[in-house]
Amino acid sequence: MKRKSYGRDAGLSLRMFITVSMLGLLYIVFAVVLFQVLNVGLIPMVVIVIGIAFFQYYTSAKLALLAAGAKVVEPDQAPELHAMIERLCAMADLPKPKVAIIDTDVPNAFATGRNPKNAAVAVTRGLWERLEPQEVEGVLGHELSHVANRDVLVMTVASFFAMLAGVLTRFGLYAGMFGGYGGRSSNNNNSVPVWLIVLVVSVVTYFLSQILILAISRYREFAADRGSALLTGAPEHLMSALQKISSEMFRIPQRDLREVESMNAFFIIPASVKSRASTLFATHPPLEQRLERLAEIAREMGRPVA
Amino acid sequence: MTLEAELGLKSAGSGGIVFKPLSAGEFVRAENDLQEVLDAVAGESGSRLERKSDEFGYEWIVVRDTDLEDQVATIHAVAQGLQERGFGEQLLAAAFKFEPKFGDGEAIYWIYGFKRGAFWPFVPKGDKERDNAEELELKAKLEKELPIEEDLSRWLALFNAPL
Repeated sequence: MKRKSYGRDAGLSLRMFITVSMLGLLYIVFAVVLFQVLNVGLIPMVVIVIGIAFFQYYTSAKLALLAAGAKVVEPDQAPELHAMIERLCAMADLPKPKVAIIDTDVPNAFATGRNPKNAAVAVTRGLWERLEPQEVEGVLGHELSHVANRDVLVMTVASFFAMLAGVLTRFGLYAGMFGGYGGRSSNNNNSVPVWLIVLVVSVVTYFLSQILILAISRYREFAADRGSALLTGAPEHLMSALQKISSEMFRIPQRDLREVESMNAFFIIPASVKSRASTLFATHPPLEQRLERLAEIAREMGRPVA
Repeated sequence: MTLEAELGLKSAGSGGIVFKPLSAGEFVRAENDLQEVLDAVAGESGSRLERKSDEFGYEWIVVRDTDLEDQVATIHAVAQGLQERGFGEQLLAAAFKFEPKFGDGEAIYWIYGFKRGAFWPFVPKGDKERDNAEELELKAKLEKELPIEEDLSRWLALFNAPL
């Protein structure tokens, strides 16, 4: 019973089920077309496709953390953050995820991991330093609701197709530019070139995945906001956190120009690019709508709302 | 109308250019070039020029001149001289220091980033914090006067500038 009240809801489950099935279907069609057209042989094709899927599935959390420049921290490195997450997990009946910190001033957070047991929650230094503890709690509640809802799995799967299609689109473009796949298709001069078929299929797959991702992501965010409100019992703190995070003022860094300049010399990804990862707001519904819904929940809970 | 009146700020009488330390391999040549630039500029302007380094290991050319127009002209001349001798990549920023809004408050800085060719305000509060509200106010006030860096995440600080 307890678990149900934190973010699990029928509407979300249904949408996720439909999205996953449609993505799965899309994936199969995509693989079959590749198999038919490219003639790589069934066994290698299946091995490749499943191999990539598993690689993605098992490394998604690590890849996401790596891409965001997040470092996993142990309890002795960030005792207060760990304690806060432990408390929230106990209330939500979730296993404790890995905790990571991203070293940027811009307040933000994200959750990743294929299931609650292998999840990780990352917050930026700016979030921890610039927000009040209750506000951080509201944001963490939002991220943990994503974990509880297994949103990460859906998004990982969804973005995998988009990624694969993107890679193949580029591959198809290059192949087109540099004259097809050697002699494989030259035995039939009248047929449509193979690279063109791959290109068209990839483009279509890419756009369909993007549409599916967008279709579900808005709803997931509202559900996670509600999950956070129920978990912390104080939606007003998440509201003020969202307002602070989206305010212009918090985009001004605390860092020194000279420090950043020296760091950029050693990193492949410039620090300024990393700080652009506005995860809390990418593919998120407009702030006003989120605040409106949270205010509604707050009123239902009898909480004070400004 | 003077620059000070236009900005609504009173110059603290100093500004400067911060640049990356010169590489060891070319140190002697670079050092000579740098000295030539400084001598040439010093000969033409009434500003006082000083060389300093900071805790980050960066080098500064500090320009002292109570007249803001002259200060800006001298800093521009130094920057140009350095760019002509191939130090363009080395240049990080120019900083102009202004009197605090209230008597004993914190100084106000306008920073010019060479890479993006835009200005941003910097109002430190102690060694690590900054007064973001005041900075946004300065931006709003001077938006029409200066090319301002629109991406706020690039408004990096220059704490303890030796100006």
